Amino acid sequence: MECRVLSIQSHVVRGYVGNKSASFPLQVLGFEVDSINSVQFSNHTGYSHWKGQVLTADELHVLYEGIKLNKVHQYDYVLTGYTRDTSFLEMVVDIIQELKRANPNLVYVCDPVLGDHGSMYVPQNLYPVYKNKVVPVADIITPNQFEAELLTGKNITTEKDAVEVMDLLHAMGPDTVVITSSDLPSRLGDRFLVSLGSQRKVRPDGSRTTQRVRMEVHKVDAVFVGTGDLFAAMLLAWTHHYPDDLKMACEKTFSVMHHVIQRTISYAHELAGPGRRPSPPQLELRMVQSKADIEDPAIVLEATVIS
Amino acid sequence: MECRVLSIQSHVVRGYVGNKSATFPLQVLGFEVDSINSVQFSNHTGYAHWKGQVLTAEELNVLYEGIKLNQVNRYDYILTGYSRDSSFLETVVDIIQELKKANPSLVYVCDPVMGDHGAMYVPEYLLPVYRDKVVPLADILTPNQFEAELLTGRKITTEEDALEVMDLLHKLGPETVVLTSTDLPSKRGDQFLVALGSQNIVKADGTKTSQKICMDMPKVDAVFVGTGDLFAAMLLAWTHHHPKDLKAACEKTASVMHHVIRRTMTYANEMAGPGKRPSPAQLELRMVQSKADIENPAVVLEARVL
Repeated sequence: MECRVLSIQSHVVRGYVGNKSASFPLQVLGFEVDSINSVQFSNHTGYSHWKGQVLTADELHVLYEGIKLNKVHQYDYVLTGYTRDTSFLEMVVDIIQELKRANPNLVYVCDPVLGDHGSMYVPQNLYPVYKNKVVPVADIITPNQFEAELLTGKNITTEKDAVEVMDLLHAMGPDTVVITSSDLPSRLGDRFLVSLGSQRKVRPDGSRTTQRVRMEVHKVDAVFVGTGDLFAAMLLAWTHHYPDDLKMACEKTFSVMHHVIQRTISYAHELAGPGRRPSPPQLELRMVQSKADIEDPAIVLEATVIS
Repeated sequence: MECRVLSIQSHVVRGYVGNKSATFPLQVLGFEVDSINSVQFSNHTGYAHWKGQVLTAEELNVLYEGIKLNQVNRYDYILTGYSRDSSFLETVVDIIQELKKANPSLVYVCDPVMGDHGAMYVPEYLLPVYRDKVVPLADILTPNQFEAELLTGRKITTEEDALEVMDLLHKLGPETVVLTSTDLPSKRGDQFLVALGSQNIVKADGTKTSQKICMDMPKVDAVFVGTGDLFAAMLLAWTHHHPKDLKAACEKTASVMHHVIRRTMTYANEMAGPGKRPSPAQLELRMVQSKADIENPAVVLEARVL
């Protein structure tokens, strides 16, 4: 498999978020990963302390120039995630547009990180950049419910709402949308959350069809960081292997998440000791230890095809 | 296995040198790798063009402070390689000294990158920093012949010279020394180069001795970049699994190198086309494709115990 991904995300010295979360799993699955580190921090910002440096939009451009001058700016995928800087995000858009001209088949996988649980955790001025510039060039997006609502201006209270929101997102650009988590009530009870996916395809006869899927995902009683980055990376991988079967791609992706999270939570509790809440360092994803699950995830949940 | 490595090396967006060369193989072998990127460049400096930014000694210190404030500055291994900045190198030394106080069993694997084939390719003033501050802290050292000669002030023309130089290097600090390549004539002919290793051992009765080994490695007709970084990382891994058996550790390490280089060479020649010399971009190590060889290298060469 000769597949090259350009991933523009954070780097942390310790732990698994951003490029640290995305690179190893993609490499283990045989993807060539070129990575531009948008920041270098000691660790993620959920720890008591964090220190480091950020890359400016200019510096990002300089790195891209180096790649371009050597004429090696041919990518099959671009992957982006958490950003706090509008000029950086705009530079990313310029780069993607150029890369799409160099390879029209390029697939841009975008996690439009804006916030969660009803509030934004990036500067507000990023919202119009995502809405008007980033999402229109995306091919696959992985918003959570809040981000999907924000981008479309429509609230989700029922499955029907979610389907309409995903259709609105398709109209903005991406043919594949996965709402990674929502507050919709799960058929399996309150220990589960609902995720949904939608993939728009054009049939050989020119007609359009949409495959929609719904997943009941086991909730975990802990705050993980980096799971969204792992999710987007694995959705890239599994939609690559199943480009016309979102059901399968989602089952694989959510299954990998399950295995990594289960292994992480067991280990975290072991380290913390009985009755104690694990700390952020203890909750770092057990990425390296999950190699076998990443390579070949046992399917642990079934996606339902919905109309 | 719960083993944490701090690797302080370059990052390139594209390709496999520095941390890009060391991290994936170590992770694939189950090591937790914390990585501080000393630079971020588009690609290595053997391409026609390269662009990027460097980390200052101050910025390195700031990153380390973050780790320390969270009280997660506990490492089993440190790994360093190519550096061009003496103040950066001196900050690395300070950090290692502190980490060794936090964990006295810490093993520092050091590639004292200074030059090759008779010429330095880092600033000259790095030599005293390596000789007087870095190497004394190192536990495992992977110099080439030129670097070993520079550090000890002794020339190597015979195998005996090499053994004496390795003993001199032991005296500077490291218990394990591997001369990754030399000009010594190989018993297997001129398609081979000679590598040597020496490890200090304390016998059961308390007496000190050293295990010295010699390997004949096939030469490759190409310039690879990042192979030294891969070598140091894999030597870290295989001495971890064979801490008292340098022969086994070196056979595994050299075998991984062989498989990765062969795969890379084949692919590069395919990409370049018949009769054409592959470009730097085409010669990037086939790292991801070599995962199985990294995990479980078939041993393809035998080290001789001297």
